[in-house]
Amino acid sequence: MEDEFPFEISPMFEGERVRKGDMYVELAGPKSRGFELVKAVKMDEIKDGKFTLIGPDLSEMEEGARCPLAMVYRIAGELVEPDLEAIVERRNHDFQNYIQGLMHLNQRYDVWLRVSKDAIKKGLNSFEMIAKASMMLFKNELPFIEKIDATYITDLDEVEKELSKAMEIYNARDERTRHLHEEDVDVFYGCSLCQSFAPTNICVVTPDRISLCGAINWFDGRAAAKVDPEGPQFAINKGKVIDEIGGEYSGVNEIANSLSSGEYDRIKLHSFFEYPHTSCGCFEVVGFYIPEVDGIGWVDRDFTGTAPNGLTFSTMAGQTGGGKQIVGFLGIGINYFRSPKFIQADGGWNRVVWIPKKLKYMVSGDIPGNIIDKIPTEEDASDLESLKKFLMEKEHPIVHKWAEEEEAEAKEEPASQVPGPMSVQSLFQIPAVQMPMSAADGSGVKLIFRNAKISIDRVIVKKKD
Amino acid sequence: MTRVIAITGKGGTGKTAVAALLIRYLTKGNKVVLAIDADPDTNLPETLGCDSEKTLGDVREFILNDRDNLPPDINKESIFESRIYEVLVEMPRYDLLVMGRSEGASCYCYINNLLRSVMERLVKNYNTIIIDTAAGLEHFSRKTIRNVDDLIVVTDGSRRGFRTAERIHKLVDEVEIEIGNIYVVANKVTIDNKEKLIELAKELNLQLIGMVPLDEKIAELDLKGESLVSLPEDSPAMIEVEKIAKKLEL
Repeated sequence: MEDEFPFEISPMFEGERVRKGDMYVELAGPKSRGFELVKAVKMDEIKDGKFTLIGPDLSEMEEGARCPLAMVYRIAGELVEPDLEAIVERRNHDFQNYIQGLMHLNQRYDVWLRVSKDAIKKGLNSFEMIAKASMMLFKNELPFIEKIDATYITDLDEVEKELSKAMEIYNARDERTRHLHEEDVDVFYGCSLCQSFAPTNICVVTPDRISLCGAINWFDGRAAAKVDPEGPQFAINKGKVIDEIGGEYSGVNEIANSLSSGEYDRIKLHSFFEYPHTSCGCFEVVGFYIPEVDGIGWVDRDFTGTAPNGLTFSTMAGQTGGGKQIVGFLGIGINYFRSPKFIQADGGWNRVVWIPKKLKYMVSGDIPGNIIDKIPTEEDASDLESLKKFLMEKEHPIVHKWAEEEEAEAKEEPASQVPGPMSVQSLFQIPAVQMPMSAADGSGVKLIFRNAKISIDRVIVKKKD
Repeated sequence: MTRVIAITGKGGTGKTAVAALLIRYLTKGNKVVLAIDADPDTNLPETLGCDSEKTLGDVREFILNDRDNLPPDINKESIFESRIYEVLVEMPRYDLLVMGRSEGASCYCYINNLLRSVMERLVKNYNTIIIDTAAGLEHFSRKTIRNVDDLIVVTDGSRRGFRTAERIHKLVDEVEIEIGNIYVVANKVTIDNKEKLIELAKELNLQLIGMVPLDEKIAELDLKGESLVSLPEDSPAMIEVEKIAKKLEL
């Protein structure tokens, strides 16, 4: 069948660039219009292999010309369903690059093609040849496609008209992918790109949790793992759900254990306090527990000031990074703020008590409306005093938690209540805090408190003589 | 096979002029050349006489800043590749890629990983790659450009220039860059300093592959901010660069 074509077809030609000087014609691209689209339809709607061209053909184009191009494929088959459209569509890029003398770049409404002079010289003179070769590859490589037809459009008005219809399809698809969650998939992706800095770090990427650097979402992980399963992004079988709210999965625990060389055997993806995700050094935002208000503050890399706890991003990042599970600090990617599972084990947004203004603005669309005005920024609170004041004034949900806990305390231990002016804020429960500390000589101190209640009148810290 | 040649040296030694002349020599033949300006100071486009508006750095920042607004399942590598092709300046016999600004404070692990695979595909399309790079060799240590066949350190007549050459030798070992050969080209050579430079190279154990004479015409064009396109074929610098290219079997 391949003999029919005046060009060779091979994966060898992937990455072949048609330079301006060697180019016969440029199609779509940044200086013209175009798109590619795959639609799933019913079997009886398609005549297999049919090609339709709307507008001028290659042979009618002048050397050096630039023309619009739309490529619409319709596919059918027992196993073909609309969810496959995007995946199949993506392959047009691969298949067209197998064609010698054809360069295909990008995707969707950003496609950009060039046909080389050499290919024209060898006899490529119609879009039908390109379409037939592409359809052949689609059917060979994706056997679930039983029938396929193609319509190419080179007429500008027609391209514009069809593009606006295609945009609706793309938007609907994006809407679906945005609503994909951990419960909808069986596979998560891991990324070990940061292990050169943080050898025990393993980034777990799920539809509800972006990588800490903010660069890799679940779909990026899937794409990369498919191309190179042994590469830095790889599949993690989700396994059994151990803690749905905390986001603990048996598959994640197994991979955490093996990739951290046994240092961690449990990870809860949506928990700040209990078996939190490790933090590399690349994270965009660091979360920090503020014991005085029992809430969590967040500070991003671009915020150069100090958080209410008196620390800067870089100071906290230094304590958090290195691929450790550090309770009390957590590195995340900005997009995790937009996740419906955002630290849901700890109360989600109701536990957030401080965030820099710029960062708050960036994610404001995803902060629940009933709390958005109750979360202070650097303009509202710069230290613990002003933070407490703001939270109380605005009746932040955490304030109710203080009251509840105080009540519980009072009921539990009425006898041991210390008389005197004990403020609400100084008595509450810390679930499990492990404070990162390091001594000047590097030996370090590690204090682990579990379910501890600590009330201290005065602490004196002295330098060793 | 693509031959990759990186040209580096201390600022002001004339490394960009040497790179431009080498590109000019290569494009006279049948070679298809990719010129990469990997110096954040970006002088190569001007020296070659072509316009470059956007840089790879701009594209990298675009992807970093816009990634959350892109469709979630879009292939970022393919967007990145297409955008890089857009900033490539296409000249009749060579393409020019300007790397542009250095990295900012965010994490570049992922984006550089994408860049590596785009670059790997891109370089295969050319016979020769000429990279004008700052002495810090940033892009090499990040491995966004890898496997250099020949590294040419350009130095002027100063002892400091030679010291830079020596330091680059050490840097290459430290950052584990795979480099075939390291050569030194002395630039702006005069009758007065020629002998001394040969001695200096011997003393520092550097392989001196050429001595480009001080060329008044280059200095003049440089002063006017003009490209080296108008430099006559028979100018002494051009002739010496041709000799170097032949020694390198380019």
